Amino acid sequence: MICLAQSSSQLLTPDIKRVGGRLACLCGTCKNTVGDCPMLECHYTKPAREKIAKLQALGTPDDEIVKSFVQQQGLQALSAPPTTGFSGLAWIMPWVAIGLGLCAIYLFIQKFHPKRATAGAPEIDSETLARYRANIDKDLEKLD
Amino acid sequence: MENLGSVALILAFCFAVYSVLASLIGKWRDKPFLTVSGQRAVYTVFALVSAASGILLYALIAGDYRLSYVASHTNKAMAIHYKFAAWWGGQEGSLLLWAFLLSAYSAVVVFTNRRKFRDMMPWVISVLMLTEAFFLMLDTFVLSPFQVFEAGRGNIVNLGDGQGLNPLLQYWTMVIHPPMLYLGYVGFTVPFAFAFASLVTKQPGDAWIATTRRWTIITWLFQTTGIILGAGWAYAVLGWGGYWAWDPVENASLLPWITATAFLHSVMMQEKKGMMKVWNMVLISGTFFLCIFGTFLTRSGVVSSVHAFAQSSIGKYFVAFLAIGIAGTIYLILDRLQYLKSESHLESVLSRESSFLFNNLILLASCFAVLWGTLFPVLSEAVTGDKISVDKPFYDRINIPIGLFLLFLTGVGPLIAWRKSSFESLKRAFLWPTVLGASLMIGLAAGGVRHPYALVSFGLCLFVATTVLMEFYKGSRAISAKQGKNLLLGAIELTHRNTRRYGGYVVHMGIVIMFVGFTGAAFNRDATVEVARGTETDIGGYHLKIADIQDGENDNFAWDKALVTVSKNGQVIGTMEPERRLYKASKQPTSEVAIRRRLNEDLYLNFAGMSADNTKAVIQSYVFPLVSWIWIGYWVLLAGTLVCLVPPKVRLQYARTEVVGIAGKHATVEK
Repeated sequence: MICLAQSSSQLLTPDIKRVGGRLACLCGTCKNTVGDCPMLECHYTKPAREKIAKLQALGTPDDEIVKSFVQQQGLQALSAPPTTGFSGLAWIMPWVAIGLGLCAIYLFIQKFHPKRATAGAPEIDSETLARYRANIDKDLEKLD
Repeated sequence: MENLGSVALILAFCFAVYSVLASLIGKWRDKPFLTVSGQRAVYTVFALVSAASGILLYALIAGDYRLSYVASHTNKAMAIHYKFAAWWGGQEGSLLLWAFLLSAYSAVVVFTNRRKFRDMMPWVISVLMLTEAFFLMLDTFVLSPFQVFEAGRGNIVNLGDGQGLNPLLQYWTMVIHPPMLYLGYVGFTVPFAFAFASLVTKQPGDAWIATTRRWTIITWLFQTTGIILGAGWAYAVLGWGGYWAWDPVENASLLPWITATAFLHSVMMQEKKGMMKVWNMVLISGTFFLCIFGTFLTRSGVVSSVHAFAQSSIGKYFVAFLAIGIAGTIYLILDRLQYLKSESHLESVLSRESSFLFNNLILLASCFAVLWGTLFPVLSEAVTGDKISVDKPFYDRINIPIGLFLLFLTGVGPLIAWRKSSFESLKRAFLWPTVLGASLMIGLAAGGVRHPYALVSFGLCLFVATTVLMEFYKGSRAISAKQGKNLLLGAIELTHRNTRRYGGYVVHMGIVIMFVGFTGAAFNRDATVEVARGTETDIGGYHLKIADIQDGENDNFAWDKALVTVSKNGQVIGTMEPERRLYKASKQPTSEVAIRRRLNEDLYLNFAGMSADNTKAVIQSYVFPLVSWIWIGYWVLLAGTLVCLVPPKVRLQYARTEVVGIAGKHATVEK
């Protein structure tokens, strides 16, 4: 028989899941949070859930619980990078990339807009123009 | 036998290098016999790598436990199809699979183009065979799959039995998921090789695109299939019902898929308007290098992942290959800019051309966000010394809004006319889709749905689906009125006339259906309970009764199984049998979940194990609304992609609007 320690399943209360969702499972393989890691006997998540339950029983607010994990494990304890300091770049950069992309599209549109695109074009002399018009007339006659 | 395999790989490596040299020298010195010889060397490489692969497969299936690879990834108790799958179950074998697929692709490319592209082919072959030589070098000199166990010099040891394949990989989709993904990864080498050759030889036209269009679509389809099979495997095997966890290796497969999707869209701008030539070069090169990068991520140990192979020393070789390849490609693109000038101009911001630009921007933003999230922990540790975690909450917050905007563009793009759209035509095209989408959102909100992203997603899904259906309806109605056919026959005729366009719409419909499935995740429910035989529990309207708990064993594994009687509204609707296994060779437990699949929701039961006193079963039960639509969406997408590959009935010629001062070519393209 494959046995599990007692009460792993009892650690999955909504309150523990809520706080656990802000904490990464640091088992080294999965990318789940402490709140949703499905391995009930996970060597990281189970003690983490027990700690959350203990602190919640003492009336510790969510932020303080999370802070205690960060003090112990460093920033890696968080399931998502903090929005301040160097880690803030993680959040900002995708939007900066979109902004730069929009600028690139704006420049592209400016460059290839007909008004701009033809602005520097050489003027066509009347002789060439007459030749083109004659060609068009000829083509139109063929259509008739 | 193992010596034959090793010799075959060494010879294949030598022939690959010869093929590169013969092709380039033959081209450079104008010696046709050398270029032809270079082409034929490609077939030889294919034959030799096939022989090496055949030898490895024979060793895996016959159980030659003198080989380290065989003993590490198979055992006697494994079924034959899993022994076959052990080919790609480990580092060395999967590298051999890469080399095998590339050699096969290369042979097909050389054969199908043997009388075409005399200018480009030596360069195409060089790129293909250089990549092949790189993988063969790894398989020959760094990580050979034919390494034997030795106790002292020359004393080969036969272990008698092996450790077996990772039990998590002993699932039917794992027999086809990696090859599909590899067919995608490896396949993008071909369009890249043609693009590279086109740059080197300063090709004025779009020959490389016309030649590789079908190839790119097929490769994209393989990649899509591989990703979906992987998602299906995760859903059914890992025991938590997730199909995507933003794991670095999962992300690695998504990155080239995104850039390839962007390429498949933007390439139309080049074919129809002669625009975005540089961009298309960047996209196809980026796709190829992201494929190599993905292979590197899985193997180098740079990031931790449940899917990654053990940490090994081969990362530095990949870094060198990527650095040289990317630098060379950037130099070549910059050097050839004058040959990549746009032949048309953008006539209006309200045009199909603009929508392609936005589509590409959003796809690339999504690609960047995923890449950034994947690499940020490495970057952060290098810069600040702090390890950080970037998990699902980050990706969800960044990618959900991007994904929804992309979904919006999926509906908008195809209905905007090329060149210029008027406000009136936009109103005509979007009035009903907007009304219907908005009505659905209001209706769902009134019905109690409070999840903002879910509301927006459902609204957009209906919006896009309506735009697609309207396109089919309008076209079919015109044909049926003209030819006296019914609407269904009209739709078939319409699709056959322009398979690429209407196949594309079907693909979009598949994406919409998949989004419906993704959105269902907002309403997931779960419960974990310890239950004794005969006890009962409830989840999401289902009543579960543990009818029995059984255990047993066979040669391969020991198992515990719960027999759960499921009722709904007082009616018994079936018995489910979630199972927990412990594989003997690896001592690794796995879940054989029980899933009751329905269109509205899946009931998903996982037997997590027995309680400490061995009297109760620990059952994790989940209800996943709408998840089946993800798999249905894939089948629609598959059908649409296959339609795109059918030659169209009508070929239309479109002249490009030329930019004054640039001598553009008038291209023959399908609409």
